[in-house]
Amino acid sequence: MALSRKTPIERIEYAIIVSTLLLLVVVTVQPILNLLAVSLSAPGKVPGMSGLAILPDGLSFEVWSVLLQHPNVQRGIINSIFITGVSTVIGVVGTALMAWGLSRPNLPGRKALFILVLVTIVFEPGIIPDYFVNKRLGLLDSYWSVILFKAVNAWYLIILIRFFEEIPKELLEAAELDGANPFQVFWHLVLPLAKPALATISLFYLVFHWNEFFRAMIYLNDQGKWPLQVVLRQFVIDGDKIAIVGADSANNNTGAGQLNLRALKAGMILLTIVPILAIYPLILKFFTKGTMSGALKG
Amino acid sequence: MTDRQHVLTSPRIGNVPTNSSRRAPGRASAFADGWRRWWPYYLMMAPGILFFFVFHYLPIWETRIAFEQVRIVPPNVWVGLKHFQVLFSSPVFWQVLANTLIISTMKMVFFLPVPIIVALLLNEVRGGSLRKFIQSAIYLPHFLSWVVIAGIFIAALSPTDGAVNNLLGMAGMAPRSFMTDTGAIRWVLVFTEIWRSAGWDSLLYLAAIIAIDQQLYDAAEVDGANRWQKIWHVTLPGIVPTIATLFILNAGMFLNADLNQVINLSNDVVRSKIDIVDTYVYRIGLQTGEYSLATAAGLFKAVLGTMMIVVAHFVSKRLTGKGVW
Repeated sequence: MALSRKTPIERIEYAIIVSTLLLLVVVTVQPILNLLAVSLSAPGKVPGMSGLAILPDGLSFEVWSVLLQHPNVQRGIINSIFITGVSTVIGVVGTALMAWGLSRPNLPGRKALFILVLVTIVFEPGIIPDYFVNKRLGLLDSYWSVILFKAVNAWYLIILIRFFEEIPKELLEAAELDGANPFQVFWHLVLPLAKPALATISLFYLVFHWNEFFRAMIYLNDQGKWPLQVVLRQFVIDGDKIAIVGADSANNNTGAGQLNLRALKAGMILLTIVPILAIYPLILKFFTKGTMSGALKG
Repeated sequence: MTDRQHVLTSPRIGNVPTNSSRRAPGRASAFADGWRRWWPYYLMMAPGILFFFVFHYLPIWETRIAFEQVRIVPPNVWVGLKHFQVLFSSPVFWQVLANTLIISTMKMVFFLPVPIIVALLLNEVRGGSLRKFIQSAIYLPHFLSWVVIAGIFIAALSPTDGAVNNLLGMAGMAPRSFMTDTGAIRWVLVFTEIWRSAGWDSLLYLAAIIAIDQQLYDAAEVDGANRWQKIWHVTLPGIVPTIATLFILNAGMFLNADLNQVINLSNDVVRSKIDIVDTYVYRIGLQTGEYSLATAAGLFKAVLGTMMIVVAHFVSKRLTGKGVW
């Protein structure tokens, strides 16, 4: 009905609205596509390439093959997967168990524990005290410094508590009357019901830990333990060419030294995004739902 | 409360008498009773509680080095407010505090309207798949790390082969090195923030828009309102509470000008323009080793920040019914 009443002015208005949004899409996606184009172009063509290009000039996978065979990059990938995986499992388990207790309205000490958690949200003493705690616990230069720090996120905890509180009381009481202990109720009833919420929290943790670089940068001296983000930072932000190209190749213009630095950087940036792109459909499915249902900010 | 009532009135519980006879006397056995019922929950919460103590409360205890002289051979010596006096008499500290406030203000003024406008425009898009396509694209940057985003923008803003300077060149303008331009670098922070999060934040407003009663639009239509009148008289008033909440919450985070962003987009040339409290703490603390001074600066920011968040929470709660937590 609305369609049939559209005047020419309304059509033009609509065209302007859609083009504005499409312009936003271009501004968002073009810089990433340009990096892809640069990383896939024939090495000789890269120097003159426009920043506006979105298609490769010639086609070469050399940049990607050099990067994927580079020991620093390989270690970075393994470290990132390890740190992200272990952190996420610890985070989800710890958060779910704590949220289950805190979601029981009659739990003794519930209010005190809530305040304990809220204080950590509003008061952050900063990076130096964090650093010293790590040092005192002997965690510096160990994977655990990065894994255990921020293991349980107070915001995600609150989101899960809110979700658990919505589980109908009758269901829980029925299970308790049947003689199920709290562990069984949690395992057989609460967890299956909370699957969407747990998936959302897992994705939150995955993205957070994959993107984490600051703690890894200050806690891990040993370059062999660096996750991909820190390797990327050293190469692209600090401009440490040797880190990826290697001293010999850089000096003698052989191997990776022959490749254009711009193309190598572009490939390295994209390599770090690949896992995010891989789970992006899931992110869209769960994050948007989670955010739409009232949880503020991811 | 209801749990217990249910148990007492339930015919299936055979051992009610023993239970209630145990509950009657003094506090000690009431505690034992509570413990018997609740220990499984505390066992399950134990890892989480331990985590909060070790990684959140121990650091709070560690802030005492802001009041101490750190010695290589312990124990440290208590020096009271000495480090704070040094801090407050340091021009560099006031400069980074000013930078923090300037950058936060710029972000607030120029960032805040963008997601609102995006949400309003998105709401006008009728085709479901077109809308999904636009959303999928503009939400993506929110999930990229600042290292990646800095890498993308260092490339896009390059004076020789960056997209922005290519465009400027086509318009006949001279190339500009934005990343090393003291006059431009703060705008780079504002723009990259918009690039990263304006799309995603529009989702919060879109959720509020979708919750608006459709009858209001129908009524406006009957009154002959056009697209813009409907936006102005129905949609905008409908999302004012959300706008107010997000504005106040952002105000509460005013001293967080985003360490991760600044640390990746900064360089020696422009540092003085975008050095914020957090990067200052990092630099003098972990790079120069002035632990006490850095902790004092961090503590100053933390205390001020806490006050701002708590005030923001209660103002927001009062005005819009929604708080930080």
